[in-house]
Amino acid sequence: MSLAPRPPHNVGPAPFAGQVAVDRSVFTVVAAGETLGIPIASVRTIFRVQGITSIPLAPPEVMGLVNLRGKIVTAVSLRTRLGVERGADHGSPLAVGLENRGEDFALVVDEVREVVPLPENRQIPIPANMHAARAGLVREVHQIGDRILTVLDLDALLDLGRHHPA
Amino acid sequence: MTLVSELVLTRNQLLEIARHRADDIIKAPLQRLSAVTTDLQEGVMHARMQPIDRLFSNLPRLVRDLANELGKRIDIVTSGADTELDRQLIELIRDPITHLIRNCADHGLESPEDRRRLGKREAGVIRIAAAHDSGYITIEVGDDGRGLDVERIRQKASAMNLASEAELARMSNDEVCRFIFAAGFSTAAKVTSVSGRGVGMDVVRENIEAIGGTVSLKTTVGAGTTFTLKIPLTLAIAPALIVRTAGHRFALPQHAVVEAVAIWGEESSRLEDVQGALMLHIRESVIPCIDLRTLLKLDGEPEAPEQERLAVIMRFGPSAFGVVVDTVSDVQEIVVKPLGRSLSHLTVFSGNTILGDGSVVLILNPNGLAAHIGLDLANHYSDAAQSKQLAPAGTHTRLIVFRAGNGPLKALPLSLVSRIETVAREEIEDIDGMKAVHHLGKLMPVIDVNRCSESSTERLHVLVIGVGGEPMGLVVSEIVDIVEDALAIEIAGKTESVIGSTTISGQATEIIDLQYYMRIARPDAFARGNARRYSVLLVDDKPFFRDMLAPVVAAAGYEVRTASSGAEVLELVKHGVQFDALVTDIDMPGMNGYVLAQRLREDPARQALPIIALDAHAGSNIVTAARAAGMAGAVGKFDRKALLEHLKNALGSDRTILQGIEAEFLRGVAA
Repeated sequence: MSLAPRPPHNVGPAPFAGQVAVDRSVFTVVAAGETLGIPIASVRTIFRVQGITSIPLAPPEVMGLVNLRGKIVTAVSLRTRLGVERGADHGSPLAVGLENRGEDFALVVDEVREVVPLPENRQIPIPANMHAARAGLVREVHQIGDRILTVLDLDALLDLGRHHPA
Repeated sequence: MTLVSELVLTRNQLLEIARHRADDIIKAPLQRLSAVTTDLQEGVMHARMQPIDRLFSNLPRLVRDLANELGKRIDIVTSGADTELDRQLIELIRDPITHLIRNCADHGLESPEDRRRLGKREAGVIRIAAAHDSGYITIEVGDDGRGLDVERIRQKASAMNLASEAELARMSNDEVCRFIFAAGFSTAAKVTSVSGRGVGMDVVRENIEAIGGTVSLKTTVGAGTTFTLKIPLTLAIAPALIVRTAGHRFALPQHAVVEAVAIWGEESSRLEDVQGALMLHIRESVIPCIDLRTLLKLDGEPEAPEQERLAVIMRFGPSAFGVVVDTVSDVQEIVVKPLGRSLSHLTVFSGNTILGDGSVVLILNPNGLAAHIGLDLANHYSDAAQSKQLAPAGTHTRLIVFRAGNGPLKALPLSLVSRIETVAREEIEDIDGMKAVHHLGKLMPVIDVNRCSESSTERLHVLVIGVGGEPMGLVVSEIVDIVEDALAIEIAGKTESVIGSTTISGQATEIIDLQYYMRIARPDAFARGNARRYSVLLVDDKPFFRDMLAPVVAAAGYEVRTASSGAEVLELVKHGVQFDALVTDIDMPGMNGYVLAQRLREDPARQALPIIALDAHAGSNIVTAARAAGMAGAVGKFDRKALLEHLKNALGSDRTILQGIEAEFLRGVAA
């Protein structure tokens, strides 16, 4: 794994130094006990998912379609996407409404946490010992205080069906 | 347009809510809102409709430029320029049509020298015709050129490994031609600036399929090639059948649905597992089927016992296939939304939509389903025999075509005629202000249609009408033919004696209104109803069910009239329309079936009128409610057998008598 920061994705927002603070903030969520960051520019809303219509033949991480105030969004289980067993089903799971490349998604998570501003110059390389499938979903890794925060690459995360972790 | 779509959806949601609670205060304003929404929707749809002339008007210039560029002489002939379709669609088909014309000009038409040598006119002709065809627009683009070179396509297909040599050798020419729609296929030896620039027929096919259309072609060596595009009228709002299978709901676009049939037990349709492939026997033909449960790997509990499951027959070009589902729960207007890109690889779905109850359902893609069965869209050849078999029963009627004096041909359903007599002119007697002839030892009133006995020859024919004891006759001058044709009225009748006009064997023909003549000749018999077939009024707010059930009832020997609402029925009744039985949907906006039944019963003359309720599921509670409302019973909308049983019990069917007469009669004609 190269030590240089990953080249910016050609479609997604390019991470580079000097961006305004709000773009440098991430929304933190918890899935399978792990705290993960989502670029705040993509986050639209947080809601409890009700009435999921499952999609036959869809990849396992796709939980189904949800009516979010008249808009049809694709619900994706973050746990399953990360390769962790989907948690026990309880009535209406919590989801983060996201927009990615013109499409609306509901990323189903275990918990939502606060918005964390990413400090300048605290980015560290993606750990070389991270599983390749997981590393492919990570945009950058930051050291914040005594914690390490992984920021998800939504383009990769929501590239369903085509690009599958082995 | 999006706003109207949203409005329609919200309206549907409100209606759904109102359906579940009997709150009369909101019902009236909600009905008004619903009606206004429908009007607005129609208005907006109408405003979006534009004549296809918008596209056609640019074509002469395109063709002139093409002719100059290619050194050919080309005439363009357009027809149906006033055919209207959605503005958005006109823009979407502009490129494919332009491409087809370029293709015709470049590859189809020969050079002027070649044409002269072949004995053709030097100027080639490119024809473009647009027409409406049952919810679709068909656009034909054709040339009178050399036709496709099937051998070249065969070679190319083999070179591109699209099929093995052996397979190709087995394929018919038509099957081979469909390879031109394969990706990257071009037989043009030279790439010209006009066509063959990497944009092939595959792109045309893709573009047309993307808007829910199909493309097919017909070619004749030396006489030209014609491409036929079939595209839906609009993209925005479409009625759909909501089907249920193993706990899932899906929408099936109604434009593709022919009918829904039972798959078990009934002798007319039966499902069979042939080496793992499901085949449905339906009226003499066999069509392939897929079980949604298997196809979509659904493991939920079945919602209906195996023998009550249904096959929804989907139209697919000239052929058809069946989709086996647990039940059909509803018909709804849906606003089609495309699937997100991340799910677009699921070709069995074409989109999704939000139903009236707020839930999301996936829309099944007929083309994708067909591909799973192995039917190929490009393989659309006119196979009239096949499509004829799949036409719903009862759409074809035997008609007797005759002449009466001068004027156009006239026709009458043969089933109404019990005999044909030949009489001499002087045998027609004038009695009591009307005409009569001796028939089977009795005087029979006759109507001198178009006063043909005054102008006509010595020998006249009398069509004897009436199965009951009181026959009447129509005097006509000549029996022209007996044909089997779809009785589709193309122009509604202007005069009382004509139901309307239609085309039979290429000739404009008036379908005469027998009731009009019967009223004159046998007013008493007419009122008693014993000299005619029983008539059934079928009421359903969904055109789908009207279209599906009317032929079923008609085929059983009843006269069918349809109405779309309770209000329409009351209006008909007010205008003196008579019927012997009423079959009504329960769940209708405005006035439900129970209320309609009660309103009709208010008139003492209709105390005994048999009323049969229709519901998606005729459960015991519906049957009880129907009986409480004074109805004879309730039947499921897909249970034709039960419907006909009920009608028979209520009225008795005179079908057998009529059929006997018709058979006897046909033997006579054949002899």
